[in-house]
Formats: sequence, structure tokens, C-alpha cells
Amino acid sequence: MAIHEEITESLMAFTENFNKNERLKIMNRDWDRVVVIQATDIDSLHTLTLVDGVVSLKEGTSNDPDLTVISDSETLADIFYGDITPTEPYNNGTLRIIGSEDDIIRLDFISLMIWGE
Amino acid sequence: MRLKRVLTLRTVVATSAGLTLASSSFVAAVSVANFVLGDTAWIAILVGGALCLLAASCFSELNGLLPTAAGLRLYFSRAFNDQVSLTVSILYMLVVIVGVIGAESYVLSTVLYDVFPAVPPYAWIVILLLLVTGMNVRGIKIAGVFQDVITYGLIASILAFGLIALSKVNFHLSAPLSPGGATGIISAVAVGVFLFVGFEWVTPLAEEVTQIRQISRGMMIALGILSVIYAIFTVAMTATVPKEVLAASAAPHIAFARATLGGAGVSWMIAVSLAATVTTFNAGLISVSRFMYASAREHALPQVFSKISMRYFTPWVSILALLLIGLVASGITLLTHRYLVLVYLAAAMESIVYVLAGLAVISLRRKMPDQNRPYRIPFGYLVPALTLLVFAILAVTVLVTNPWVLVYLAVAFLACLVYVNTAVPYLKKKHQARKSASRRRPSRAAKEVEGK
Repeated sequence: MAIHEEITESLMAFTENFNKNERLKIMNRDWDRVVVIQATDIDSLHTLTLVDGVVSLKEGTSNDPDLTVISDSETLADIFYGDITPTEPYNNGTLRIIGSEDDIIRLDFISLMIWGE
Repeated sequence: MRLKRVLTLRTVVATSAGLTLASSSFVAAVSVANFVLGDTAWIAILVGGALCLLAASCFSELNGLLPTAAGLRLYFSRAFNDQVSLTVSILYMLVVIVGVIGAESYVLSTVLYDVFPAVPPYAWIVILLLLVTGMNVRGIKIAGVFQDVITYGLIASILAFGLIALSKVNFHLSAPLSPGGATGIISAVAVGVFLFVGFEWVTPLAEEVTQIRQISRGMMIALGILSVIYAIFTVAMTATVPKEVLAASAAPHIAFARATLGGAGVSWMIAVSLAATVTTFNAGLISVSRFMYASAREHALPQVFSKISMRYFTPWVSILALLLIGLVASGITLLTHRYLVLVYLAAAMESIVYVLAGLAVISLRRKMPDQNRPYRIPFGYLVPALTLLVFAILAVTVLVTNPWVLVYLAVAFLACLVYVNTAVPYLKKKHQARKSASRRRPSRAAKEVEGK
């Protein structure tokens, strides 16, 4: 089981790598979204906000998310560090994402572009 | 927390019905009519629709239990195991893409060649596939209100054609309840299932509705509407044009439109056919290319299929691979004229998937008895067991009466089985070896040592 701080660090790594990638920022300029990340086995909630191609991270939840990413703490930390692809846990049901299918795919594309295969 | 953007029941119905409305449905409808006596095709179609309701109940329970865009891939993985799930998913996608693109492009190219004989049929197929591929690569999706307008327009057109034709011939059922022998009826119902192929592809929208029950309600309403319009349209076709003339044509709906409303009817029906095919291709290519992309991301397909367009955020390699498969499948169909084999192949595969859906409901009730089920099929195991039994009989009927379908399906199944048991473990092992050497997440033990 990962701890809350590990999830925070993984999300910070994700945010930092996203914001460093100019191409990714340009590509997502029109994709303003609020993404809530929720762990199922520990008390841990984060919100990623994308506005004009820039991501920001805050602790806690948002009332009006476009996407909600729900999984156990280990899986969340591994996904946002790019150590595992989101597809595998998504296809075996460990990871649940509430939101539109297009947004789910876009989030996976972003993860692929940040971390590679 | 609440979801910002949600789909309405109207769109869920339109998506479910829209995925099944295709030009090849008219050919399947004529096949159904040919298996039964007189004007009793409506019985087989309504029975087929009612049986699909059983399958829809199973999908509703599975979808409520495991709401996901991964659909079958997750249901079967949890109910059986990952190998079964992957084998069936790959086989299903393969059959759907080859079957639907092959049959659909054959029917539509016949329709267009009939009107513009100067242009060869294969040219129409190439143009159409290039158009849909271009739309997919650019990420243009026929969805939302646009999907609603097209689907409800198609439904209204099919119903209007049927009713106009029936009133023109002053139709009365001659032998309403005498469809003929049992074999004919079972075959008719089995092929009738093709008319509803794809209604369950709406389940990936599970996370886009406020209430999960909207998906099940949407599927049921779509099946009800489709059953009625197909029944009316098929009876109208056989009442207007002799069955043997319809059966001899790859575009029976055009012959019917000409007999009903002349040149204007033909133009109207071409528009209907074009809209039905383009929406089917668009939805099919999007779903299958995303499946290929997701499979490549979980290392079940070569990595190249996960390449994405930097401009449009679409899996362009998967989409182009599907274009190639589509061009080959439709070229072979055009050369051999064996489009009906593809219709039967898709009907058999769909029945097999419904059998597995019934089994999955039973298996998951045992494996996950306490899990919340927003929709639980009433009467215990009766409905899933009936689904399993009925669709197993229908699948066997199609396979026994069409030996080539059995051969193609067996070969495709063996190929998928070998692939999943040899190539997939190799791809996963290769990825694992590469990945474990470059883990980014610091281990907690190392961090604690660092902290001291």
C-alpha cells in the first residue's frame, strides 16, 4: 500500500513533466478539464486542473470534476510515475475512471506522451 | 462529486440503435424472410428482438456491476480469465470488422453502382473507406445531437417506407401465424439476430450517464424500436417485390424503394443507405481502433499500434491498419460475391458473445456475490441460463447450416488462440524486461534510508 505523500509525489512528477513538455501544452490548450484522483484504500484525494494547456495540482477534491480516477494507492502512484500504463489496470478493473470515453482516452494519450511505453 | 457532462436517454437509444442500423441489415432481413413461409418474417424478427432482450438484460447486469468503457474485455476477464477475455475480444473485433465492412461495403457499392454504372463498385468502397478513415484520423466522431438526428431520421425513413408500401398494396396478412417448419424458423431467428448486431456496443458509455440504469433502459427501448421497424419494413418489402427478386439482389432495399416510390424512392433510399453505412463504419472504426490501441498499451498487440497522431490525438496506425483490413476484406467480398457468408459469420459470432454474456452473469454472481448491482436480472438464474441456451442453439444452427462460416470461424478462433498463447506472453515479457530496468518511483525503503 502506498502512502498519501507517495501519490502526491507521483502527481507532482506527472504535473512537472506535463508542464515541461511544450508540445503537450500546445496540444491540450483547448482541453480544459478538472480531474479528481481518489484512492480506495487510504484517505487520499487530489485534483489536477488543466487550463490553457497548463496543469496544476492541489490536494483535496473538486465538486465538479470532468474525470474521476479511482484506484488503490499502489496503482495510482505507479500510474502517475509512469511505471505502469493505465490501460492494464483499467482493463482488469483495478482502475476505474468516471468520465466520457473520449476524455479517458485523452488522459491515456497524455500519459503515453509523458512517460512513453 | 457529480459528473459535468452527461448523456440523455435519447442519445443512449440513438447510439444503441444507430450502431445496428446498416445497409446490410436489409439483406439480412430478406434472408430472414426467405427462411419462413409467406409474409411471416415479422414473427422471426420479433422473436429475434425478444431474444436479444434476454442478452440485453445480461449486458445490463454486467454493465451495472462493472461500469467501464472496456466492456466485454473486463466482463469476461473477471468472469473467466484474461486469456479467454483477450481471445474472445480479438476474435469478436476481427469478425465484426471483416464481417461488417465486407458485407456493408459490398451492399453499398452495389447500390451506388446501380445508379452510377460508370464508376466501378470497388472505387466506391475505396472512396467511402478513405472518407471514414480521414474522419477517424482527424478525430471526427458522429456523436451526440448529430448521431440523434441521423439515427432518428433513419428510423423514421424506414418506418415511413414500410407504411407507405403496405398502404399502396392494401396489405393484409394472408397467413399470419404459419411460418413453416421448425428448422426454417430457427434459421430465420438466427439470421434475424444480425439485424440487432451491435446494440450492446452502447455499454462503453456507462460512465457518461447519471444513472447506470439508463444504459439498460436505452438498450431495451432501442431493441423494441428496431424490432418493430424491421418487422414492418421486411413485411412491406416481401409484399411489394417477389421474394426471389429480393433474394437475387445485393441491394434489395433499392428494388423495394423503386417499386414503392419510383425514382424519388430510390434517391431517398440511397440517402438512407449512405447514412446507415457511414455511421456504422465511423462507429465501428472508432471502437475497433481504440480496442487495438488499448491492446497495444497493455502489450497484447505490437507497440506500433499505440502510436498516436500528435495533431489530432488519435491512434493513426491502428486506424490505417483497419483501412487496409477493410480494403482487403471488401475486395475479396467483391471478387467472390460471398457477402452473405459474412452476414452469417457476424450473426454466429454475436450469438457466441451473447452465450458468454449469459455465462459471465452466472459466474460473476458466484465470484462477486456481495458487489453492488444497480440492475439485477429478476428470477434468479433463469434469464442468463435461457440466454446461454437460446443463443447456443442459434449459433449452432448458423454454423451447421453454413459449413463455410464454421470453417472461417474455427480458423479465426485458432489463430487468435495461438496468438494469445504465444505472441502475447512474448510481447509482455519483452516489455517487462525493459520496464523493470527503468522504474521511476523511488522505493520507500531507499527513501527511509535517505531520510536517516
